[in-house]
Amino acid sequence: MVDPSVVDPAIVAANAKGIIAIGAGIAVGLCGIGAGLGEQAIGAAAVGAMAEDEKFFGKGLLMTVIPESIAIFGLVVALILLFVF
Amino acid sequence: MLKPTKMTKVVIAGTKDQIEPTISIFHKLNVLHITDFSKETEDFKIGRPLKTASKFSEHLLSLRAISNQLGLKESEPEKLVKVELSSDIDEKITTLQKEVSSRFDELRNIESRLKEKEDLLSSVKPFFSLPLSLESYSGYETLKVYTGYIDIDLESQLIKIHSNFELFAGEYEKRKIFALFIPKEFEGEVQKFLQEERTYVELKVPPLKGNPPVIVDELTKEITGLKEKYSLIKTELDKLKEEYSEFIIATDEHLSIETQKSEVPLKFATSVNAFIIDGWVPSDKFGEIEAELQKNIGGNVYLTRIEEEIDEKEIPIELENPGPAKPFELLIDTFATPKYKEIDPSLFLFITYPLFYALMLGDVGYGIIITAIGFVITQKFKTGGLNAIAMILILSGIFSTIFGVIYGEFFGFPIFNIVFQGHPEEGILGIAGPLIAGIHLPIHRFESVKPLLLLCFAIGIFHVLLGYIIGFRNEVVKHDLKHAVYAKGSWMMVLIGGVLLIAKVMPSLMSKSPMPTRDLIFLAGAGLMLIGVILLIKGEGFISILELPTLLSNILSYSRILAIGLSSAGIALAVNTMSMDLFIRPKGILLGGGIVLALSGVLILFIGHLINLLLGILGPGIHSLRLQYVEFFTKFYEGGGTKYLPFGHKRKYTEE
Repeated sequence: MVDPSVVDPAIVAANAKGIIAIGAGIAVGLCGIGAGLGEQAIGAAAVGAMAEDEKFFGKGLLMTVIPESIAIFGLVVALILLFVF
Repeated sequence: MLKPTKMTKVVIAGTKDQIEPTISIFHKLNVLHITDFSKETEDFKIGRPLKTASKFSEHLLSLRAISNQLGLKESEPEKLVKVELSSDIDEKITTLQKEVSSRFDELRNIESRLKEKEDLLSSVKPFFSLPLSLESYSGYETLKVYTGYIDIDLESQLIKIHSNFELFAGEYEKRKIFALFIPKEFEGEVQKFLQEERTYVELKVPPLKGNPPVIVDELTKEITGLKEKYSLIKTELDKLKEEYSEFIIATDEHLSIETQKSEVPLKFATSVNAFIIDGWVPSDKFGEIEAELQKNIGGNVYLTRIEEEIDEKEIPIELENPGPAKPFELLIDTFATPKYKEIDPSLFLFITYPLFYALMLGDVGYGIIITAIGFVITQKFKTGGLNAIAMILILSGIFSTIFGVIYGEFFGFPIFNIVFQGHPEEGILGIAGPLIAGIHLPIHRFESVKPLLLLCFAIGIFHVLLGYIIGFRNEVVKHDLKHAVYAKGSWMMVLIGGVLLIAKVMPSLMSKSPMPTRDLIFLAGAGLMLIGVILLIKGEGFISILELPTLLSNILSYSRILAIGLSSAGIALAVNTMSMDLFIRPKGILLGGGIVLALSGVLILFIGHLINLLLGILGPGIHSLRLQYVEFFTKFYEGGGTKYLPFGHKRKYTEE
């Protein structure tokens, strides 16, 4: 029987790597969903405003991409997890 | 450069008899941006269109109708056509309209007749299989006739009702067809039976006489005749189109110009005997205009420069940039036209847009293809928005190629020999990367994520800082130095202080060592940030604290440069690995899996790179633009200016 108190360090390292990868995936995925939920309403309204007056393009774009920073935060967290840790 | 063209407000006044020559001169000069006159007073009313206006617009209308009927499309002019306006034009348009619309009406007529005949033909065809002429289906006093499709043995069913009937049966397109003649007295019963029979479909007898085969023959002949006539008229119309297309396009332009000229007095202020035009001209053109007016009209029309302070919003904006940066004005105008005293950021976009694009795409293969695509588009569209986009694409493509060399990527394949994840890989050139400026090329993107990420943040910091510097300058011009320090200077301090702070705090957080609280840089950063925040609160109130995190998200946003680059390189790598290792070169042997496998590998390679290329145009293009619009422009850009639209027209098809 394998003594549970003795753990192969190689397996620990591999496990840690896998868990980091899962964490990175969750970070990007959930942030993406969050950003998408935020953007859908704003985007729809922005397109509506643009249909009325094309001058709203600039403002509409700005408003639409505000929630996008959430996705970027997730991405940065994932990159740090994967490559810096 | 950096600033819109300098404009001068002018007023042109003259007697009404000079209105036409004045319009002509300004139209030809194509420099005057006319301000609409809208406040009518007792003495000055809005001008009326010239007498010729209705005539020109009428001609234009019929001309456009003709070109519509002929299906004429505007194409690039091959040569200039000189059209002289004379009574000839009226006549030519009228005759042309007659010829075209009479033929067009005939076409419509033939079309409807064709439809009618074809309907008849399809309704006669089913009766082909029944041995009766069409007139024998109707005209009886004591008989009732039923015709239609049915799917059962009708005779056996009818016998149950009565034996006195005559039934003809046949087949059309694999469906049973019948004609039933019965005495009128059984009508009710048979009707009920047929109504309950689900497979019964009634068939109407067409109102024609004669044997179906004969009728079908005749109808077919008629249809062929009509079709021949149709194509004949069509060729005539095509001939007309070919013959007159040049005339139509040129006259259209000419008449548009004339209409524009004769309707422009609607923007003037006129009194009983005089007219006044209010407008703007580029300052350096003033002398030329003055000379031209003097030469053509003499002293009868007066041109005056208005020197007084004017509301900035009124001044029309003409962006002024050197040739290579010109296409980027399109991106500025898409966002918003700048105000007169604002910095025009086209020149910054000219550098940073392709740079960001290339940092993201960075592949020699894709770069060359994108440059080529841009080049093809510029050949096709010499002016306008598409041309500008193509020019931007070319520039971005060239930058991407350069960065492709730095990254050492050619369609995802390594250009130079590299060591990737511990395995040596041979590059296309088969040599090791050169050493340029102390940096070993290539910088493999997957191997150097951390430094590239830091580079992205550094670019972000500089880009945002540049935005604040421009914003500072705009505020100084618009208000004063104090205001600029509060509004933009404070943000600059927060940014620089924050960067210094994070640069010191992050490493110690990572290594879990104590904070370097006594470090000079740390203290300087903290102090700068504190001063910045205090200034910000003083200038814009406590609410502005809520905006502080946006600065962080702005800088972090630049990490997309790396992220999109990695995803593009990742897709390319995946496609290459899949097609090479599984199909083209299984187990390291070229064509090891046979020629078919290798060919499917090539197909995968092609489709994969095509998709990646499309993504590679779209993704970096949009995200590079977003970094400009959202992260950069928000720091200084207000926009809301009026675009400079001079009265006049660039002739494409005609000569003056």
